[in-house]
Amino acid sequence: MTALVQLLIEGVMVGLVYGLVAISFVVIYRASRIVNLAQGEVLVFGALVLWTFTLGLTQFGYGLPLLASLVATLAFCVLFGLALERLVFRPLISQPAFAIFMASIALLILLRGLAQLGWTAATRPFPVILPEGGFMVGPFLINTRLFIGGAFTLVVAFGLHAFFTRTRQGLRLAAVAESHDIALSLGVSVRWAIAVAWILGTVVATCAAVVLLSGRIVSLDVAQIGFKALPVALLGGLESIRGAPLAGILIGLGEVLAMAYLDPLTNGAASGVLPYLVMIVVLLIRPQGLFGWKKIERL
Amino acid sequence: MLPTGVQSLKYTQESAVLRTTRSRAWLVVLACALVGYPAVAGPYMLGVFSHMFITLMAVYGLYVTVGMAGQINVAQSAFVGVGAFAAAKLSGYGLPFFIVIPLAALMAGLTSILFALPAARVKGFYLALTTLAAQVVFPIIILALPMEWLGGLVGMPVEPIRFGTLTLGAPIHFYYFTLALAALLTVAAFNLGRSRFGRAMLAVRDNDVVAEVMGVPVFRIKVMSFFVGSLFAGVAGACTAYFLQFVTVSSFTLFASVWYLGMLIVGGAHSPLGAILGVVFITLLQETLHDVANTLMQSGASGGLLFALTSIVLGGCILIALIFEPRGLAHRWAVLRTTFQLWPFPRN
Repeated sequence: MTALVQLLIEGVMVGLVYGLVAISFVVIYRASRIVNLAQGEVLVFGALVLWTFTLGLTQFGYGLPLLASLVATLAFCVLFGLALERLVFRPLISQPAFAIFMASIALLILLRGLAQLGWTAATRPFPVILPEGGFMVGPFLINTRLFIGGAFTLVVAFGLHAFFTRTRQGLRLAAVAESHDIALSLGVSVRWAIAVAWILGTVVATCAAVVLLSGRIVSLDVAQIGFKALPVALLGGLESIRGAPLAGILIGLGEVLAMAYLDPLTNGAASGVLPYLVMIVVLLIRPQGLFGWKKIERL
Repeated sequence: MLPTGVQSLKYTQESAVLRTTRSRAWLVVLACALVGYPAVAGPYMLGVFSHMFITLMAVYGLYVTVGMAGQINVAQSAFVGVGAFAAAKLSGYGLPFFIVIPLAALMAGLTSILFALPAARVKGFYLALTTLAAQVVFPIIILALPMEWLGGLVGMPVEPIRFGTLTLGAPIHFYYFTLALAALLTVAAFNLGRSRFGRAMLAVRDNDVVAEVMGVPVFRIKVMSFFVGSLFAGVAGACTAYFLQFVTVSSFTLFASVWYLGMLIVGGAHSPLGAILGVVFITLLQETLHDVANTLMQSGASGGLLFALTSIVLGGCILIALIFEPRGLAHRWAVLRTTFQLWPFPRN
């Protein structure tokens, strides 16, 4: 019984990390109607930039204090978001969804190529930003890094939800998520919305990278997490920021349980396939996800 | 645009793919050039061409699913993989290639139907996600199956093709083999648009509500478009298996799928000519980059450079195509031809 509860706790923790990555998907969709398949690559890019400003600079003898490197990374995220808006997505405003989807796929390989060109495919240690180790609650061991990350996910989810539903700026973004053309005709700047979406998305993805990688190894393969978070975003509903952590917990629990009980029977496939199975079932039964906006017609 | 004086007296003339003697003559020239090419090319270039023909088959499949029916498919490489593994397994039983290739195509087609079924509920981008699931799940499942079935992590050897006493092994053999199959599939791809099924797919792409009202069974056509597109992928997969003589999961990644899509977009998704132009253009680019990376590596650059450069160039090409010329190279080609034909008069 203790083992099972411990397993469930771990599932929730991992699920909240998925949830954080899923939030970075949802934020971009919720503010600009762009589903960004390259989110995993954006996360790796953020992680590599943060590495450059911390350990990378230290190697060259220009060590910055941690706070300064975080600020520098944040500034980079803002510039990155603005550049993407100007160069890639501004010309595609109110283009068919197919074009925007393909642009995000093109971005995926472009970013991966750039990351490999700039940082090579070598693995490198990620700086320790969150405390390592764990603490005991009763008989259960809780990982401090994931615990702080999970709490952060919830704070981000509720904060962004408040931003998107309570503030004037946030409601404008919701209009853009509904339709580019209608938003434009109502005087909402779609360009501004896309820029905000990408800045928010990049910042959240970089935060997710910190939670996921702090004190561990960063390599290009980390981008896989993007495809793991996609089913989470879909299950929670692409428009629902608060849905993402909940869906993350569900997927995380399912994955941990599948790993413990089904993987020995299926040669390790069950936990890998489960999120995508959930995704297909969600698409078949409830395409808008748990908390998404119900539309008569998609796309 | 047709030259002056070409008149059609019958509907069959009107709907023919090649309508003028001149276009037929050019086709004959092209065919002769391709058949005669091995006389002047070395084994390396023959290998490049065989690979290009195989890629072309897979991209024709995408043209059917994406270009004609308007359904996004990001799992073409997984379907190619299904074809390749099916071919490897079946050739192991000693079946001849003319049975193996259709069966491999059928396997790929049936697999794609499985992932096209959500089309009953969702459209467009959401449907693309189910194909993404197919692509991600494909290696997981192959690796989890018992080693004896499909080779697991190691991969599977493929029995070579035998014509009587001749065993296909040299590059020139594969060149002619893939050329013949690619030619066959080219005829299929160009003629599909003239068939009832092809027109139904075009109707679904342009407006599926109207198509439904006109009596086109939209759901069935969508599923069928995936099925037919994957038949092409299955043939490409079987050819890959015979060509490489060995299949492993690592050849059929999401990146390969994106490459196929990129080729189609750069070439122009709305005509089979676009598929050809895209494949030729990107292959040319790839080979150039290959040379550049080799030169750079001799002067001491790192090994991952080639992959990095090709990724950046392909991503850049797709973005440029989407932003500046969504109709692709095929449209540019048409514009160029019209300008040439109308010269010295301006094109409208």
